[in-house]
Amino acid sequence: MVARMKGKSVQASGICKRYKSFFGRSSTILDNISLDIDAGDIFGLLGPNGSGKTTLISIFSTLIYPEAGSLSILGMDARRNRNAIRKCINISTAKPNFPWSLTVKENLRHYGMLYGLHGSALSRTVRDQIDAFELGEFQDHRFEDLSTGLKQRLSLAKAMLNHPSLIFLDEPTTGLDPDISIKTRQLIRRIHEEEGISVVLSTHYMPEAEMLCDKIAFLRQGRIVALDTPHNLKRHLALGERIAVSYQGEADLAALEEQPGILGLKAEKGRVEIIVDRGEESLDGIIKLFAKAKITDIAIKEPDLEDVFIELAR
Amino acid sequence: MSWQGELNRFLASAYKNWIISRRNIFTVFELFFWPMVSLLSIGLLTRFLAVEGSMVSFLLVGAIALTILQVAQIDVAYVLLFDMWSKSIKNTFIAPIRSYHLVFGALLFGILRGCVVFLILVAVSGHLFGFNFLAGGIFPVLAFLAGIFAMAASIGITVCISILTFGQKADVAAWSLSGLILLVSGIYYPVDVLPPLLQALAWAIPLTYFLEYYRSIFIPGPHHLAWGCALASFYLILGLILLDRAIERARRTGILLRLSE
Repeated sequence: MVARMKGKSVQASGICKRYKSFFGRSSTILDNISLDIDAGDIFGLLGPNGSGKTTLISIFSTLIYPEAGSLSILGMDARRNRNAIRKCINISTAKPNFPWSLTVKENLRHYGMLYGLHGSALSRTVRDQIDAFELGEFQDHRFEDLSTGLKQRLSLAKAMLNHPSLIFLDEPTTGLDPDISIKTRQLIRRIHEEEGISVVLSTHYMPEAEMLCDKIAFLRQGRIVALDTPHNLKRHLALGERIAVSYQGEADLAALEEQPGILGLKAEKGRVEIIVDRGEESLDGIIKLFAKAKITDIAIKEPDLEDVFIELAR
Repeated sequence: MSWQGELNRFLASAYKNWIISRRNIFTVFELFFWPMVSLLSIGLLTRFLAVEGSMVSFLLVGAIALTILQVAQIDVAYVLLFDMWSKSIKNTFIAPIRSYHLVFGALLFGILRGCVVFLILVAVSGHLFGFNFLAGGIFPVLAFLAGIFAMAASIGITVCISILTFGQKADVAAWSLSGLILLVSGIYYPVDVLPPLLQALAWAIPLTYFLEYYRSIFIPGPHHLAWGCALASFYLILGLILLDRAIERARRTGILLRLSE
């Protein structure tokens, strides 16, 4: 494993982005985004559709420019050093697209050339990426003939051609089968650990963010509504734990609601889900209220990022 | 960055255009079918109208020039059109490249294709219509071709600027601009026959001067090759500056993202 870098990979302050229509109407996509991303971290951007994740990644990767705000990427001013930054970063876009009739190998060769690779270094880098992303069997297949999973792998391989210090992954597992998603996540983890690359990824998929990210920013309507580690986000939002009780017979649900430490409950026939401050401490009192019933199943579940997402997206 | 690395940034666009063209059966139409249709129809028209030898050369020089211009300019435009059609523009513009890498790389491939078409048309026009295009020697041919390729680069750049400014629908410009050239720069008739306003426009187009120069070999008369060279250089430099601005504007307005969707 490569030692973690020091410093910041991204420093953004007051980033704003608006789009103007042909008739002059403007809509705000990003509003006063400020965040720092530590070098060596995997940083997640989460949020519902239209929250501004792709726009923010596009601004961080210098693909488009913000209207206002200051941005520093890998310690370089994004306004003054765009080309220098582009040499050190790369991107794997959502719904990866490449020239259709070029094969996997030709696509990698073409983009390698755009990054100034040449001669044996170009051939070696292309070969290395084909091996690293297990594309050897498909290297002579045209892009248009690849499956979605292979297209995603090609996109990741392309993003590694210039050995970047910072890589942006825009929804890297969207549209993939579950087994391919798992493999893609393993690849991202491996890139990060073996190459020591900072990663900024956007995703809808909560377990993915929980599994990969050191820190997460939640975006909603172009604003950051929360920014912390996955653990702290769950703790600070005080979403409580969920105790799910399945039972037969009568249960005193009215008394249950009165119990101290109960934040809420959702009842249906023969099953009740109770949201509590601290699951284990409340458990005794809850079980007593089911004295006249027969408990058939009981489970305590910690809140996950899905719950955080639902809470923040509200 | 070594010179080989810098060179490869130029060659990247030529490499992409070459592979896409090689795999596309319809390239045959661009390289052989339309050029032959253009040359044969004009050549046969000269026979039907029984025009004299100097007029045959006048018309065939125009037909050959227009065909080479169209082939080379579309190659420059393809550098962005292929990316736009495959929605892969993001991947190109995330790389540390400048507009001139894209334009000159694509132009290099356009020059290669243009030269292939030129040789075919010269051979066919000599064989079928007895027209010796190379009668003036090698230097006039090189100057003539250089002028056409510079003009082709400017038109291709204009198409790229249109796409980056107006979005996907502007790709129609790729096929329309050479139509305007056909109308005003004296391809099939002297500029003198145009209305005064269009004459002024014709003399603002470098191709008019290159045609005038090359025809002077077959029909002796004055020419203004230096003006043509100066204008072609000016448009090329201006085009590259404006293309850079158009790219920056597309990054500011977000068109660059929309072209990838």
